[in-house]
Amino acid sequence: MPRSLAPLVCAVAAALSAGCGGADSTVSLTFSGSAVGPEGEVVSRQLARFAEQHPGVDVSLRVTPDAADQRHQLYVQWLNAHAPEPDVLQLDVIWTAEFAGAGWIRPLEGGDTDFVAAAWQAAHWRGTLFALPWFVDVGLLYWRTDLLESAPGSLARLRDDAARLAASGPARFGLVWQGARYEGLVTVFLEHLTAFGGRIVDAGGQVVVDEPAAIRALTFMRDALGAGGFVPASVLAWQEEQTRFAFQNGEAVFMRNWPYAWALLQDRAQSAVAGRFAVAPFPAGENGRFTAALGGAELAVSRWSRHPDLAEALARFLTAPEQMLERARLAAQFPARRSLYDDPALADALPIPLEQVRDALDAAVARPVTPVYTELSEILQVELHRALSGQATPEAALHRAASDMRALLARSGLADEGARP
Amino acid sequence: MNAFRFLRIAAAIALLGLLLAPIYWMVVSSLTPEARLFQAPPLVPRAITLEHYRALFGERQFLVPIRNSLVVAALTTLLAVPVAALCAYAIARLEFPGRGLLLALILSVSMFPQISIVPPLYLVLRTLGLLDTYPGLVLPYVTFSAPLAVWLLTGFFRQLPRDLEEAAMLDGASRVRALRDVVLPLAAPGVATAAILTFLYCWNEFLFALSFTLGPDRQTVPVAVTLFRGRYQVPWGQVLAATVVATIPVAVFVAAFQRRIVAGLTSGASKG
Amino acid sequence: MPLLVAPALAFILAGSLLPIAATAWEALHGHDLRLPWLGRPFIGLDNFVEAAGDSRFRAAFVHTVAFAAVTVPVELGLGLGLALIMQTATRGRSAVRLAALLPWAVPTVVAALVVRFMFDGQTGVVTAMFRSLGLIGPAFDWLVHPLGAWVPIGVADVWKTAPFVAILLLAGLQTIDPALHEAASIDGAGPGRRFLTITMPLLTPTLVVAAAFRALDALRLFDVVYVITAGGPGTATEPLSLYAFIALMQRLRFGYGSALSVTVFLLTFGFALVWVRTLGRSLVGERA
Repeated sequence: MPRSLAPLVCAVAAALSAGCGGADSTVSLTFSGSAVGPEGEVVSRQLARFAEQHPGVDVSLRVTPDAADQRHQLYVQWLNAHAPEPDVLQLDVIWTAEFAGAGWIRPLEGGDTDFVAAAWQAAHWRGTLFALPWFVDVGLLYWRTDLLESAPGSLARLRDDAARLAASGPARFGLVWQGARYEGLVTVFLEHLTAFGGRIVDAGGQVVVDEPAAIRALTFMRDALGAGGFVPASVLAWQEEQTRFAFQNGEAVFMRNWPYAWALLQDRAQSAVAGRFAVAPFPAGENGRFTAALGGAELAVSRWSRHPDLAEALARFLTAPEQMLERARLAAQFPARRSLYDDPALADALPIPLEQVRDALDAAVARPVTPVYTELSEILQVELHRALSGQATPEAALHRAASDMRALLARSGLADEGARP
Repeated sequence: MNAFRFLRIAAAIALLGLLLAPIYWMVVSSLTPEARLFQAPPLVPRAITLEHYRALFGERQFLVPIRNSLVVAALTTLLAVPVAALCAYAIARLEFPGRGLLLALILSVSMFPQISIVPPLYLVLRTLGLLDTYPGLVLPYVTFSAPLAVWLLTGFFRQLPRDLEEAAMLDGASRVRALRDVVLPLAAPGVATAAILTFLYCWNEFLFALSFTLGPDRQTVPVAVTLFRGRYQVPWGQVLAATVVATIPVAVFVAAFQRRIVAGLTSGASKG
Repeated sequence: MPLLVAPALAFILAGSLLPIAATAWEALHGHDLRLPWLGRPFIGLDNFVEAAGDSRFRAAFVHTVAFAAVTVPVELGLGLGLALIMQTATRGRSAVRLAALLPWAVPTVVAALVVRFMFDGQTGVVTAMFRSLGLIGPAFDWLVHPLGAWVPIGVADVWKTAPFVAILLLAGLQTIDPALHEAASIDGAGPGRRFLTITMPLLTPTLVVAAAFRALDALRLFDVVYVITAGGPGTATEPLSLYAFIALMQRLRFGYGSALSVTVFLLTFGFALVWVRTLGRSLVGERA
C-alpha cells in the first residue's frame, strides 16, 4: 500500500508547489533589502522603473526585518540553503567579505570604479570585486541649534556642553548613542577610538584593540555613563531608533546617529525638534581629527540566482547616478559615487547641508574587512558592553577581546592576512 | 465528610480555572483593541474588536501557513499511518525472532533529540533541493510520528481476538485478504486514533519546520506565528489571534475524539 | 512478512538511524560552512574537547539537567494531584478530561506565546497581578532577569504537560481494584494511609513510565525557550538543544554543532539506559 502511495504523494506535492514560479514567460527577480520609511518607497519606485525598462521582467521586493542583525541572519539562512531568491541583496558594508568568502555571491565585472574609496575597498575580497557600493553612511553628531551656538569641536567641549545643558534642562539627557550589545555599539566605539588615536586592526591586519589609546577611549565612554556623567545609562539597551526617539522628543542635547534620521527628525508632524538641529562630525579627541564610522550598503548578486546577468543589470541600475541622486533626494542617503559629490545636483538633492557632512565623509573610518567580521564584532560587542555596564574594567575587557579576536583569526586560517580585504 | 467533599469540589474548580486560564486569556486578548493591550487588559473585556483577525488574514496572509500545515499534516498522516499499521500488525500478530527488539528500536527513535538529526538531514535536503518544500518536511515528520503510531497500533492489534483472522484463513482466504476484510474494519478505531495523533504531531511540530523552511511560502503555523515581527515591538494582538486560530482545529479534534485519544495514549502506558 | 515491516524500517533507518550516525561522523570533523577554504578535515574528538572547555556549553548542560530535575517532579506531583481530583469527579468527568487534554493538545509554541504574553513586563496580566500583590517591583521584567526568565518557561512547560501526566495517572488509578480500598477502610485505615500503602505502590509503574517520558522531553527542551526568551537574557536560559541549533543554523559550524547535538543525544540516551536498567523491564520486556 505505501508503495503505491508514494507517487501519489509526490504528484500531489508537485501539484501544490507548481503554483509558485514560472511555467509562464515572465522572468521574476527578487530584491531584498531595507525598506524602512522613505527607503522603502524609493526602492519600490526604482524597482518598478527597472521593470518598465525591461519588458517581460517582474521585480518584487522581499521584505526583511529592519534590524540589521536579523536581516543578516535571514540572508545567511537563505544563502546557506542555496535558495534561488532573492537574486539581488542589499548587504551591509561589513558583510561583503563574509558572503564572498563563503562563496554565496557572484564576482562582478570591475570596469566601473567611480566609487568612494573606503566603500570600494570593502566591496572586494582577495582582490576580486563582489558587490557594488550603493550608499555610504557616516556616524554624525546631531546637535540642538536652539540650545547651542555651534557644534563642539572637541570631545572635552562636547562633554562639558552636554553635562551643563542636561543639568539645567530642558533636555534631560546630554548625549545619547547606541549602546545596546549589537553592531551599532562597535561603530560608536570606533568613533571614540579613532578620536583617541586608536584602531581596531593595524595596517597589517593584526588586532590592536588592546592598545593604551583604546583603553583610554573605552574609559572615556564608561565614565560618561557613570554618576556625574552626561550619557544616560539606558543607552545600554538602545539601538538607532530608540536614540532617535529620545532626540526627536527633545530629550537630548546631542545624538550620535546615522544620516537616515535627518529626514524623520525634520518631519514636523512627528518631531518636536524639527528645524532646531544640525549635524557635525563627531568631535576630535587627543589626536585632533574628526572621526566618523563608515557604514553603508552594497548590492550583491546571489550565487544561486536563476538569472544572474539580469540580476547584475538590476544592481548596476540601482547604483547608477540617476538612481543614487533620487535616493539622496528622497531618503537623504549619501551616494557611493565619488563624482556625484562634485555635482551641484547632489547638494540640492540632499536635505542635509553638504558642508555639514563633508568633513565626516572625509574622515570616515572603515571597520575591519574580513569574512569573520561578524564573529570578531560579537567578541568586541560583548566585552565593550561588559566594560560599559561595569562588569569588567576597560583594560581587562579589551585585553580579553583582543586575545579572543586573535584566536578567532588564527583558527579561521586567517592569521597571516589578518583582517584586510 | 461534607466539608471534605466541598473542599474537593472547590479544589477541582480552582484547578479547572488554572488549566483553562491561559486559553481564556488568549481568546479574550485576541479580541481586545490594540490600544488597550498596552496597559494590562481587564479580566473581563469591555470592548471587543475583530481588527486583529482582519489584519491576520489580510496583511499577514495567515491562510498561507495554515495551508502549509494542513498539507504537510495530511500528507504525513496518509503516509505514516498505513506504514505504521502494517508494521504494527506484523509485530502484534506474526511470530518472528527479534520482534520485541524491533519494537524497542522503533520506540527508541521517538526518544531521539530532534536536533541530533538536523545537520545531516539539512545537508541532504539541500543537495536534493528539498529545503523549503513539502516533501522536505513530510519525510522527517513521517519518521518521527511513525513510532508513536506503531506503538499505539501494536497495542491495539494485540487486543483484537486472534480467532477472527484464523477463521477467515481457515475458510481459504490469504493472510492479506484476512487482513483487509476482517482485521481492518475492526482496527478502524485504532487507525483513526493513530491518524489523529499523527495529525496533531505535525500541526504542533516546530524544530524541523524552523530548520527546513526558509520563508512564508512554506512555513507552517508554529513557525509563522513565532516569527511575527512588528516594526518596533511584537504585534501581540495579531500574534494572539494567530494562536487562537492555531488552537481551533486542535480543540475541535480533542473535543470530538477525547475518549479515543485518552484510550490510545493510556493503553500502552498503564497496562502490559 | 518482512514486506510488512520494511516500509517502517526504511523510514526509521533513513530518517533517524542513518542521520544519527552521520551526525556522529560529522562531529569528528571541522566543518564551518562559512569558511570553505578550510575544507572538512577529520579532527577526531577536538570538537568535544572544545565543548568541554566552552563555558557556554557547560552552562547549557547545567540548564538542561536542572530544568529536567525541577520540572519533572513538579509535573508528576501536580499531575498526581489533578488525577486524584479527577478521579473523584463523578459528574462532569468528560468536561474535566477535556479541560485536561486541551493544554496537551495546544501547540507548544502557542502555549509558550500565551505564557510569554501573560508574563510580559509591561502588558502581562500575571506581571500586573504580582505587582499589585507587592511580590515584584514596578520595573521588574521577568525576561530581563536571568533567573526570573525561567519562570515563564517553567510555567508554560508545566501547564502543557501536568494535565497530560494526570490523564496517564488517572488511567493507572482506575486499574486499581476498589475492593482493595474497601477492605482497607473496613480495617480502619484512613484515606492518607490507604493512599500510601495501596495507591502509591500500585501506581508506581505508571508513575515510572510517566516520569521517564517527561524527563526525556525535558532534556530535549527547545520550543518553549526559543519562543519565550530565545535563550536570553544573554544565554542565561539556553538549553543544550538551543545552543546546538544556534551553532548549526546561525553560526554554520556544522562540525561543532554536530558534536553538541551528539552530547544531547548521549544525554537522553544515557538517561534512558540508566532508567531502563535500574527500574526495569516494565517498559519493554513484558510486551514481547
